[in-house]
Amino acid sequence: MKYIKMAAAAAAIALAASACGGDGGDGGNEKVPAELEVWMMGEGTPEQTKFLDDVETEFKKDHPETDVKIKYVPWPQVATQFQKAAASGEGPDVTELGNTDVQSHIEQGNLADITDLLGDWADGKTLNKTALENDQADGKTYAVPWYGGVRGVWYRQDWFKELDIATPKNWAELTAAAKKVEDEKDVPGIGVASDHTNAIISFIWGNGGEVAVKEGEKWTGKLDQPQAIEAAEYYAGLDDSGKYVGKNELEGPQRDFALGKVGMYFDGSWALKQLKEISPDDADKWAVFPIPAKSGGNAPVMAGGSDVAVWRDTTNKKVSFDYIKVLNNAKNAKAWADYSGFSSMRSDVSFSDPKLAIFTDIAKNTKFPPMTAGWAEFEQAKKVLPNTLKAIMQGGDAAAEMKKANEQANTLLNP
Amino acid sequence: MLDTAPAVRKPPGRRTAGRPRPRRRPRFGPYLLIAPTVVVIAVLMFWPMIQIGIMSFQKVGTRQLRGEPAESVGLENFKDILGDPFFWTTFKHTVLFAVVAVSLTMVIGTLVGLLLNKLGKRMSNLVAGGVMVAWATPPITAAIIFTWLFGTTGGLVNWTLDLLPDFLVGGDWLGYNWFAKPLPTYTVLTICVVWQACPFVAVSVLAGLKSVPSELYEAARVDGSGPWRTFWSITYPMLKPIFLVVLVMSIIWDFKVFTQLFIMAGMANRDAFNLSLYAYSEAFGSMNPKLGDGSAIALVLTLILLIVTALYVRVMVRQGETR
Repeated sequence: MKYIKMAAAAAAIALAASACGGDGGDGGNEKVPAELEVWMMGEGTPEQTKFLDDVETEFKKDHPETDVKIKYVPWPQVATQFQKAAASGEGPDVTELGNTDVQSHIEQGNLADITDLLGDWADGKTLNKTALENDQADGKTYAVPWYGGVRGVWYRQDWFKELDIATPKNWAELTAAAKKVEDEKDVPGIGVASDHTNAIISFIWGNGGEVAVKEGEKWTGKLDQPQAIEAAEYYAGLDDSGKYVGKNELEGPQRDFALGKVGMYFDGSWALKQLKEISPDDADKWAVFPIPAKSGGNAPVMAGGSDVAVWRDTTNKKVSFDYIKVLNNAKNAKAWADYSGFSSMRSDVSFSDPKLAIFTDIAKNTKFPPMTAGWAEFEQAKKVLPNTLKAIMQGGDAAAEMKKANEQANTLLNP
Repeated sequence: MLDTAPAVRKPPGRRTAGRPRPRRRPRFGPYLLIAPTVVVIAVLMFWPMIQIGIMSFQKVGTRQLRGEPAESVGLENFKDILGDPFFWTTFKHTVLFAVVAVSLTMVIGTLVGLLLNKLGKRMSNLVAGGVMVAWATPPITAAIIFTWLFGTTGGLVNWTLDLLPDFLVGGDWLGYNWFAKPLPTYTVLTICVVWQACPFVAVSVLAGLKSVPSELYEAARVDGSGPWRTFWSITYPMLKPIFLVVLVMSIIWDFKVFTQLFIMAGMANRDAFNLSLYAYSEAFGSMNPKLGDGSAIALVLTLILLIVTALYVRVMVRQGETR
């Protein structure tokens, strides 16, 4: 019995050791895999599939015996899919990840350590530094920034011209512009969705506020500070139609904007494609200006976006990383940016479409939300900011609601 | 009935006699026949339930799903959720919704069933077929259709309400957001769920009515009984077992409503959550799953439903006794 116990203990230790660090299997003697499973987030479109087919063709030049199998995971199912993958061990080899989820994935032990492989990749130096920091923990790297996107204010150019409104440069002008559109066009001036963490956070930052800052080892919430409260109050008061309470930009304002039923709304560069789908002939009526800070200038924006990583359970770490290298080389990154409307995270790639040039400008002032594994719960499961804003929009006291939100930040961000 | 009585009294006598029955042969046949069903049910239903029971006393996240041993936390999860005022909000929503939706389902379903019985054969089949379409609609489809109907942009309901005279319904309906607050959200949810559940009640009632001898109604008519009196004196007592079954099933369904609310309120409207949605958001809502908390909520919901079912079984058994 004793020996069996000892053997079991030894096996457990060996397992634990291989799980923590080295990830056995690399080191040049990997077998050539017959298939590489790649998960992409979203619904997948014919164009995206074509783009990925081209990537596969290029990848096969170096790995002729490996087929690439793409699986699309719709965003709303992302959390459950990854949980299933972790539980069953039937995960992908390479996967796209929402960048705000990366820290959670690292914490949960889902991703392979790719520090060395990244070090050997010359293109690694072109990657956005802040975005790369988001993929690191304890000095190790677990993912590669792929593309990102920032929000701006989409507005009806033709109405602004007709009503003689200049593009707003600060909060006062934004309110005035919204009011004028509302009075003259009889539609909400600006579509403010309460379920829109990314937009809300820009207003908090644009007023010198913060969600939380790291003090020592702990994240301390700052949502009860006057700057944040004022920003929340301002955001909640931008639109009093009540139409977008409890909704996000895709459920409400985007459609209305495309159909001419709202004057402005917050969204990213990728929205152009969806807007054109809803209302194909109106593309020249739309334009974008940066979200203004309270006293002028561009408010900092949250860089949403996606990273690519090697899943921890893969037996082909090297080949998997080779796929990432091809996917995110300069040529493919450019093709992807132009097709998708998302900015590349490589410093040497930019958009071709002049309409989207403004986003390159906006992206100069990006910020990341608190980099902690607790952010995923704060943002997704508990939707703290959206629910707080919703309460304020429905007449709740801003200071009291933000105080509650701050208590949640204090607990959730320190898991 | 009478001939069973001696059989009941027999066992004590047999036991005191202390001798085995001479012709007692174990009969495996029935057990063999039922075994596959029991195994399937055990694997598909009992094991997950037991698992949920175990998990509700553990801390379970992705790491534990991967196979790391789960740490036992005792009653921690239950303390967490029961101590959270939010749990009680969702509890309140669940119970209130069930009470309203079940009452409406029973009343409207019964009325439709009575109507179906009054109609001629062809019309009855046509209408029954029509209402069954509502029953057959998958919940997710129904939920999406109702979200469209009540939508703020181009929703048929808002459009219609706006056309009606203002003194009747008030004005400014076009931009009205049904899903911003819990009460209007639950109003739409109730309409959707009741619309889907009524046909089942209606058809069950219809089936019951077909088995009531028409002489009873004839006699009632001769005695000058009105529809109200006829219903309570004849239909209701005759159909009581059916009403009971349908009632308990409705209670169980409406306590567990998830899909429709998930589509209508989404994850962003936490103030409209019910227990199922709360359990889901804890367990699967983000990349940091809290399966322990989720299981604890699910267990509480299961306990509530077990109590309802126990009451039902008790009533059924008693009914058997009195007969």
